[in-house]
Amino acid sequence: MNKRTVFLVTLLAFLLLAGFGCGKKAVEAPADPAAHELSEEEQARLAEERRKQEMERQALAERRLQEERLAREREKAETMVQIQEARDEITQKRIHFAFDSYELNQEARSTLQKISEHMKSFNDLRLIIEGHCDERGTAEYNLALGERRARAAYEFLVLLGVHSNQMQIISYGEERPMVPESNEAAWAMNRRAEFKVLD
Amino acid sequence: MRYFLYLLTTFVLLSFTPLQGSAQESLHIDIFGPGEERVNIFIAPARSLDDDLLPRPEQGAEIRSMLQDHLAFLPFLSPVQPEHILGGPEVDGVRGREIDFRKFNLSRVDLLLTIGLDQYPVHPGTVEIRSFEVFGQRMVLGRAYDLEDEDQIPLMVRRFCAELMEYLTGNGDFFRSVLAFERKQGENKDIWSVTPQGADLKQITRLEGITLSPAWSPDGEKIAFTLLRDNRHQLGIWNLQTDETSTFNLPGNTIISPAFAPDGRMAVSLDPMGRPDIYWLNDDYRLDRAIMEHWAIDVSPSFDRTGNKMAFASGRLGNPHIFVHDFKNRQVQRVTYEGRYNTNPSISPDGRYVAFSRQTPDGHRIFVADLANGRERQISFGPGNDEDPAFSPDGYFLAFSSSRSGTYQLYLTTRNGDQPVRIPTGQGNAKAPKWGPDRNF
Repeated sequence: MNKRTVFLVTLLAFLLLAGFGCGKKAVEAPADPAAHELSEEEQARLAEERRKQEMERQALAERRLQEERLAREREKAETMVQIQEARDEITQKRIHFAFDSYELNQEARSTLQKISEHMKSFNDLRLIIEGHCDERGTAEYNLALGERRARAAYEFLVLLGVHSNQMQIISYGEERPMVPESNEAAWAMNRRAEFKVLD
Repeated sequence: MRYFLYLLTTFVLLSFTPLQGSAQESLHIDIFGPGEERVNIFIAPARSLDDDLLPRPEQGAEIRSMLQDHLAFLPFLSPVQPEHILGGPEVDGVRGREIDFRKFNLSRVDLLLTIGLDQYPVHPGTVEIRSFEVFGQRMVLGRAYDLEDEDQIPLMVRRFCAELMEYLTGNGDFFRSVLAFERKQGENKDIWSVTPQGADLKQITRLEGITLSPAWSPDGEKIAFTLLRDNRHQLGIWNLQTDETSTFNLPGNTIISPAFAPDGRMAVSLDPMGRPDIYWLNDDYRLDRAIMEHWAIDVSPSFDRTGNKMAFASGRLGNPHIFVHDFKNRQVQRVTYEGRYNTNPSISPDGRYVAFSRQTPDGHRIFVADLANGRERQISFGPGNDEDPAFSPDGYFLAFSSSRSGTYQLYLTTRNGDQPVRIPTGQGNAKAPKWGPDRNF
């Protein structure tokens, strides 16, 4: 125990002091209880905020999806309405012919023009063109004439750009009169092509 | 009906009375003549074969009335009224030796029919029908029938009438035929059949669509027709043996006016090229080849007995006219020059005449054109529309449809234009009659 011992003790004490100093510093942060509690609350708050934000984001996305879906449905409904209107307009149209003739007159051509616009707008529409005759001819020749009438309409629609696979024709000859009477007015009404849209 | 063929036995009555008086020429009618010959006919009231009273006299009256109704369809027979028979209409017996021919001769009866019955307790029994030439006092036709059931009476009457007509004209097919036709009920049309005398009305198809243009196969085993259903045309074939209908799809959109040629092949108007032309089908009812191709409408083929000639309607001259295609020399003969709408051709079995309907200012009327000399003759006079003429197998009768009563009904006339007789077919429009051999006969 002399100078060497004193030196060692001093060194040790210094080291201890130094050690305490460091220790004191290291312990300082956990030793602050207020800071620790705030952090947990903050975290929970933050998590809550994040959750809320996420929910809001989801709700927003849902709303957007919902709106998009409604828009789509609106659009679809509008299209359906448009298709239905097109169908109604097509099926209400008729073109008429002169006796023993399948020539398309100007009125028939403009009617077919309107039908072609609908057919081109809605590619899914399938059209049946019916050819009809009045009762003044005879049944078998009228069946052939009805075919010519339906075909005249069909070929004009093809010229106007309607796909041929959207259309089929049938002749009813004199079997389905529109007006089941025997006079000039009835005959003129019965010489016709009608348009049906397949479901 | 088929079993009747076995139940109904007929045998020829051999008791021909010897020819008496002068050698009078037999009663024969030339149905291909000018149509002015008339034979006065009388059917004596039925009586018992063994001089007893008939247990069921109403049966004899029914047979007599049915014979009268059937023979009334023959325009060359004029019935003599019972009150015009001097000394009364009765006969003392049904056999030649029992008949006082003088009173019938004085009453201008040419042909006398007697009906003799031997009624069994339940069955109708034996029926003997004899036909006598009054002037020559000789039996020209005698037949006996054993009937098991009353239902056999109509067939017996048709058989006797067929033989009597054959004796008189050389052809009795009028009574051995059956007509197929379209009958409308509600929105639908089906094929029905009826004898040309209006008996045995039967529904053939039940397809819930519009069936049109029936056509018999030459053997009477099938009827072809057009079916309009489900937005398309199909070819329908009804089979007699199975009583079933098959349908066939063919190229194009229309199937119009099927017709069997005498060899059994089918011709039909189709539009695979976008216009109705007449094509042959093969045995499977598939497209074979075009008989002719033309930009205009060609429909309604009708064949003669040999199959060498086919009449058809064509719009090739701008309006429908009648033409005849000759398969041997491959030439097309124009038949109609008058009018602007000539359709519905029916060529006679011998290939000499073509009947058709022409639109006149008063409606459609039936005309007959003679292909040999180009002459034509109007044989129907309405009112209304007379359409769909169809030559009978003997070439003498024509069935057609007419709206003269307000609705379309079937009528019979002859090539000579005899007074049309309506064929009863029940309610609903009846159109498009076509003759076929009756396989149930």
